[in-house]
Amino acid sequence: MNRVLRSNPVREALRVAIAVAVALTLGFIVTLFVSEDPVGAYKAFLFGPVSRLNRFGDWIEESITLIFLGLAVALVFKASQFSLGQEGQMVLGALVAGAVALYVPLPGILRIPLGLLAAMVVGFLWGMLPGFLKAYVEADEIVSTLMLNVVALKIYEYLLTYKIKPPDAGYTASATFPDPGILPTFLPPLPFLAEIRQLFMQRTNISIALYLVLAAVVVVYLLMYRMPFGYELRMVGANLRFARYGGIHTRRTIMLSMAVSGIFAGLAGAHLAMGIHRKLILNITFGLGFEGIVVSLLARNNPLAVPLTGLAYGYLRAGADVMERSSDVSREMVLVIQAVIILLVTAERILPMVQRRIAARRSAPGAAQTPEPAPASGPAKGDA
Amino acid sequence: MSSPPLIEMRDIVKVYPNGVVANDGVHFTVEPGEIHALVGENGAGKTTLMKILYGLESPTQGEIRLRGRPVHFRSPLDAIAHGIGMVHQNFMLIPSFTVAENIVLGQEPRHRMLVDREAALQITRELSQQYGLRVEAEAVVDSVPVGMRQRVEILKTLYRGAEILILDEPTAVLTPQETQELFQAIRALVAQGKTVIFITHKLREVKEISDRVTVMRNGRVMGTLPTAQATTDQLARMMVGRDVLLTVEKPPAQPGEPVLEVRDLTYVSETGRTMLRDVRFTVRAGEILGVAGVEGNGQTELVEVLTGLRPATGGSARVRGREILNATPRQVRLSGVAHIPEDRLNNGLALTATINENLIVDRYFRPPFLRGLFIDSQVVQEHGVRLIQAFDIRAPGGDVPVASLSGGNMQKVIVAREFSAEPVLLIAAQPTRGIDVGATEFIRRQLVEKRSGGTAVLLISADLAEVMSLSDRLVVMYEGQITGVFPQVDRVSEEELGLYMLGLRRQTPEEMEAYL
Repeated sequence: MNRVLRSNPVREALRVAIAVAVALTLGFIVTLFVSEDPVGAYKAFLFGPVSRLNRFGDWIEESITLIFLGLAVALVFKASQFSLGQEGQMVLGALVAGAVALYVPLPGILRIPLGLLAAMVVGFLWGMLPGFLKAYVEADEIVSTLMLNVVALKIYEYLLTYKIKPPDAGYTASATFPDPGILPTFLPPLPFLAEIRQLFMQRTNISIALYLVLAAVVVVYLLMYRMPFGYELRMVGANLRFARYGGIHTRRTIMLSMAVSGIFAGLAGAHLAMGIHRKLILNITFGLGFEGIVVSLLARNNPLAVPLTGLAYGYLRAGADVMERSSDVSREMVLVIQAVIILLVTAERILPMVQRRIAARRSAPGAAQTPEPAPASGPAKGDA
Repeated sequence: MSSPPLIEMRDIVKVYPNGVVANDGVHFTVEPGEIHALVGENGAGKTTLMKILYGLESPTQGEIRLRGRPVHFRSPLDAIAHGIGMVHQNFMLIPSFTVAENIVLGQEPRHRMLVDREAALQITRELSQQYGLRVEAEAVVDSVPVGMRQRVEILKTLYRGAEILILDEPTAVLTPQETQELFQAIRALVAQGKTVIFITHKLREVKEISDRVTVMRNGRVMGTLPTAQATTDQLARMMVGRDVLLTVEKPPAQPGEPVLEVRDLTYVSETGRTMLRDVRFTVRAGEILGVAGVEGNGQTELVEVLTGLRPATGGSARVRGREILNATPRQVRLSGVAHIPEDRLNNGLALTATINENLIVDRYFRPPFLRGLFIDSQVVQEHGVRLIQAFDIRAPGGDVPVASLSGGNMQKVIVAREFSAEPVLLIAAQPTRGIDVGATEFIRRQLVEKRSGGTAVLLISADLAEVMSLSDRLVVMYEGQITGVFPQVDRVSEEELGLYMLGLRRQTPEEMEAYL
């Protein structure tokens, strides 16, 4: 039995399962305190996202954003570059994708790829900038990416407010994109799917971004584990000095890791603009910018695990939304429960710590014990 | 004797979470007032055993008794409180603090709320006098020689009340003269009632300094015996489990064309210190040129400048006529230079990456490893299997992280990669430092084999015995300059080289000219 417990995947799965169970129990205890109907509220939290088609749609749509962002983070973190610039790259991605959707008079078959491409390019460039600063002038990427997030956000707000918003609009938003600028629904227009397709189109905005994100997972995996660039990136992340000693162009790798990561954050922005909102609005990222970090860390920066953690985290967020809307638990407490769960799942040391405690207790009776409290430390000589 | 031993470690078992059994039922006793040598190959478990004694690791099983009473150390603080101190192989000093500040760090004498600097100096001087360990109390640690840093470390543990000192390979960084000084100091400590545990690889030192010796192999104790009754051959056999060739068989050199020509090489560090001054020498195909010297006299800089890791300030270095100064590390490698770096953990390996990944860092970008856009994992896998076998790397397979290997096997990973690159010039810096006898023997044999096969080898080593036994020609570096050339290594004694290494003697440029 011990051998099974020691095997890595089993332990990992067990670790996560225990953490989730403990976290859900704790979450329920919190709910007990703040709700008149804790069972109902917690039910809404646990099963809300799959209780109605539109909620299911919300879950999947948000998960797509989270997976794109998680991939972006996995790439840079694997190179040990702690770029927090996904928010900025995403908002600029949304901006250029939206601009293409609004203004480029091409048919959908060309306008949509062009919009996606524009978002990828702008994400790449907006990631390359702090990458260059880090690699060649040693500017700390945490600071530079946070600052560039502000810059990107303000550029977005400025252009939206003063250039893109139609003069007669009552609030700050662009016009709704014309049809050739909107990502088509994920179900192909086949006759036997017509009915269900209609249903999904009415209730959800799940678009072909679903396929894009799955393709992105494969691309990031191949990039990271099968291609020379990924090897360079991982070696730079594992030991920068080793990479340099071995002949890897470390500065270029650092710069490119942040730039390539930006591509996927940019795509997340395009998904927000052309897939979900179908127009540009203020606060379009809705605070998602940093959630990619959670998704990627839960996946241990492994791109193949990102879809799972993205869906799981998306579910948690969607469940929290449902709970907030359909019970008496306030948004704040919902966030507390959510945070507790994430904390417990990410706390890597919890399970090993518990194991060690148990092991210590087991060996304690027969084993060595300090016979007396250690003498006060001090420069005094031992009492030989 | 009725009184219990000072330290008694009984049936110590240590299993790391990754399943490595570092100690397997170890019994180890130390009598009061003795110098006890602990020897064994890397990965034999000596350091783990000492870390357990010092409270850095907790044993999976077993007990420790101190003066007959069971103790349980949760951290080094507990060990220190019981009078056990450890001087690590890599010094744990703050380079920008003075010697006195380092010694009192953590237990500073205070005057009102502030550190009393005067008292710290006073304490340092008194300790230094009492134990005969000469240090400059007011000097900044960064500026004092390695030997003194080590004395500072020892004083630091004595200040904390250590009665038992664990010295982890203390002589690895010292010159023969400094080693003698250290030995005198150790004898003085013991004369004042201290007990010393001395970890080493060097059997000669065991014979010279210790009263008793414990030999470990594969996590087990092979025996403890009075040093006077042990011969070096016997100890070596106990360590390795077979007869070891302590000297390398070497056919006469047949030097060919010059491969590396270094002329007037100068390097000024970023802080403005001249680290290399007008260095010139030639390495020919089929010979080993040894560079001897106390560490910190420019050898590290020389290697890093030659391998593209640092920019040179002036001069030239050509490999088969092609300039390599200020080229990128990859360009240098592509001109046929391989490099075994001095700092293997920081430079030579990515510890969290697998063996296979570590083996391809200089070749992943070209066929057969690169096929189209992708790295062919099948080829990488086979390449790993081949090198693991050829270089006798003890590992369960190529997919395990290098961090799980012992020191000697980590070094074999580097050696495997660099040797299999088929270089025209091999730069080997401290190739056997801190690794076990078996791996050392293997690496030395490989070096000689490469050289006999026509590779030019530049060997930098702080281990005098090593440079002397391997080199065909020898130069000594002192303060960034070459101060002596010895075209026939067998005609010079260790003591004479020591004088050059300490800067007490030097040859004139005219004397050296003919041999460079």
